Amino acid sequence: MEKFSQSFTNLARADLRSLVESRKEEGWRYVQTLAVNTEFGIELIYTFMLDGKMVNSVITGLAKGDTMPSITDLYLEAFVFENEIHDLFGVSFEGLAIDFGGHFYQVAQETPMTIISPEQKAAREKARKVAEAKANKQAASRASNAEFLADHPDAMAPKKSGKMASPSEESVEAKLAGMDPEKVARVKAAIAAKAKKAAQQEQQSSEASSAVSEGVSAGQDTTLDPELEAKLQGMDPEKAAKVRAAMAAKAAKQREASPEDAQATKAGE
Amino acid sequence: MGKATVIPFGPQHPVLPEPLHLDLVVEDEKVIEAIPQIGFVHRGLEKLVETRDYNQFIYVAERICGICAMGHSLGYAETVESLMGVEVPKRAEYLRVIWHELSRIHSHLLWLGLAADAFGFESLFMHCWRLRERILDIFEKTTGGRVILSVVKVGGVVRDIDATMMREIVNTLDGIAGEYRTIVQTLLSDTSIKNRTVGVGYISHEEALNLSMVGPFARASNVNYDVRMFGRGAYGDLSDFQPILDTSGDCYGRVKVRCEEVLQSIDIIKELAAKIPEGDIAVPVKGSPQAGAQASNVLEQPRGECYYYARGNGTKFLERMRMRTPTSENLAGMMKALEGCDLADVNMIILTIDPCISCTER
Amino acid sequence: MGGFKLGGMTLKSLFKKPETLCYPFETKEPPQGLKGHIVIDVDHCILCGICMKSCPCGAITVQKKERVWQIDPFRCVQCGTCVRMCPKHCLAMDPAQTPTAVEKSLRIYEIPQVEKEG
Repeated sequence: MEKFSQSFTNLARADLRSLVESRKEEGWRYVQTLAVNTEFGIELIYTFMLDGKMVNSVITGLAKGDTMPSITDLYLEAFVFENEIHDLFGVSFEGLAIDFGGHFYQVAQETPMTIISPEQKAAREKARKVAEAKANKQAASRASNAEFLADHPDAMAPKKSGKMASPSEESVEAKLAGMDPEKVARVKAAIAAKAKKAAQQEQQSSEASSAVSEGVSAGQDTTLDPELEAKLQGMDPEKAAKVRAAMAAKAAKQREASPEDAQATKAGE
Repeated sequence: MGKATVIPFGPQHPVLPEPLHLDLVVEDEKVIEAIPQIGFVHRGLEKLVETRDYNQFIYVAERICGICAMGHSLGYAETVESLMGVEVPKRAEYLRVIWHELSRIHSHLLWLGLAADAFGFESLFMHCWRLRERILDIFEKTTGGRVILSVVKVGGVVRDIDATMMREIVNTLDGIAGEYRTIVQTLLSDTSIKNRTVGVGYISHEEALNLSMVGPFARASNVNYDVRMFGRGAYGDLSDFQPILDTSGDCYGRVKVRCEEVLQSIDIIKELAAKIPEGDIAVPVKGSPQAGAQASNVLEQPRGECYYYARGNGTKFLERMRMRTPTSENLAGMMKALEGCDLADVNMIILTIDPCISCTER
Repeated sequence: MGGFKLGGMTLKSLFKKPETLCYPFETKEPPQGLKGHIVIDVDHCILCGICMKSCPCGAITVQKKERVWQIDPFRCVQCGTCVRMCPKHCLAMDPAQTPTAVEKSLRIYEIPQVEKEG
């Protein structure tokens, strides 16, 4: 049995005729033509196959109303696809062997595939926002890490927790870009609590192992204000744990002095 | 020479399973030219990709055509899996191929019934569809639906076939094969059928290559191309696969190729049912396709090679999904086959290319 | 001319059981897993809305505040996605025949409040 392989290559618009003529000479079989309506213009993809090798050639940068040369003089069966692209996308072909003049499909609207539906617009906006947020977060975390390192040259443990928090921040931003505001606040709070708990645990373990006295007493984050302690005894155990984590996080923040806005949200609640 | 008249054929015609319009330019009972017109069943399904995410769109892809339903859902799922880099477990691949080959048998039996009906041989039509009912019963027992199966999803399949059911499938197919051979023998050795199909709608090997024809339509003209011979997926575990070819290039050859493909499919199913491995039937698929990622795929449907293309844009909606069906490739070949034939042969020629116009127009 | 080639098959079918059933006097036992209309077990529904999000036709509407779950059976294509995605497995398909209707209607279910223990 022969092997099947496929590949995508780019093609310049002016090279189309020469490519198709060389394919015809070598005996390639014509598979199809399709058009994609992207944000940056219409793209055409021509596919040919020879002995199990399928090559898709992509032409980019066309616009509605452009004219392309037709290949029906070499491959007659392409007339179906070229008429369809003319009706649905608005790219016309000159020299068509069988030209329906725009009436191949009787569609109610002109060039329906180029009409951007509201869902598609929303999807593209979301994709753009996600990409922007990702780029911004990466730049911001890099800057904050550099700043922190400059202040505390011999602090190893906090740096680890700082780095650990930022990737999750990025993915969270990505997910939150499309959600509605109250959900966003809830999710942010939950993730902040988790991160701070993890940071607090790490700090505790690192302080216990390393004998570096940074002027931080290990007992400080477990003892709380006495009247707060009294209130906590009477509350739901889950809620009490959350409040304890919040106080510890606040104390940790004051020690770390790293600008994480999730902290601010937590402290502000 | 006589005067040329234009006779419209279709879109409503007793012989056509789906609406297709032809303008036949006729001179003294001989057809000189045929100009097709499609677009009666255009539903704009490719635009629905923008409002249904990639998991929901499989149900739209299934409903493009009733006869090729399993083929389209399988091709769509394979394309999206290759776009997202998902690897399907082996058992799921085997199950998909078994259902796809059953779908090929049912499609060819349906077609055979229609071809016999076009001749006027109604009793053969009834017998073929009676055998097809047994395949539809298998579908009902294993998937829950007779025509629209809804059993493939992105990442695998939804339901499993256990060993008892597999044995029942093999027994049913053995029962069908015996009666089927009698029916095919009747059809292919009958003198009146031979008078109407031998030498009609002849397409030579060179013309078939020039016009890039696909499927049994091309294999009857000795074009050695069948996507299953590349051995992808579960087809790679078959001991041997040779596409069925015929050198005659006329209607009789096309009927013969399709009849023999049914028997070949029965053998494939029996071999795969014996070799099926244990394992999972699906893997979970998370996330969305990346922006700018593109993937293409080919699949052998009952009517020929079907090409699929998908492109992602970073969200759960695909940017573009394209299905190029075999009948749209074969339209040029059909026009060529109709040139020079008698007006009475037009039905036979159109039926032997097995038109599936709802797939062509989506 | 050729003999009566389908003769053997035709004669045998005089004595075999017919391929068809005399419906509606005889009915076939529906196989396991046959598709049908969607039914819900209201005691286990938690109004999460996953079925609403995964339905390809938009046939299900879940209103969390009013504790109402409704389905438009005329939009449902019986794909089975909601049955698979429900985390509490409270949806099922019932293949029994539904009567014909003159106008389209919705099927609305009220989800009762379950008292939390402890």
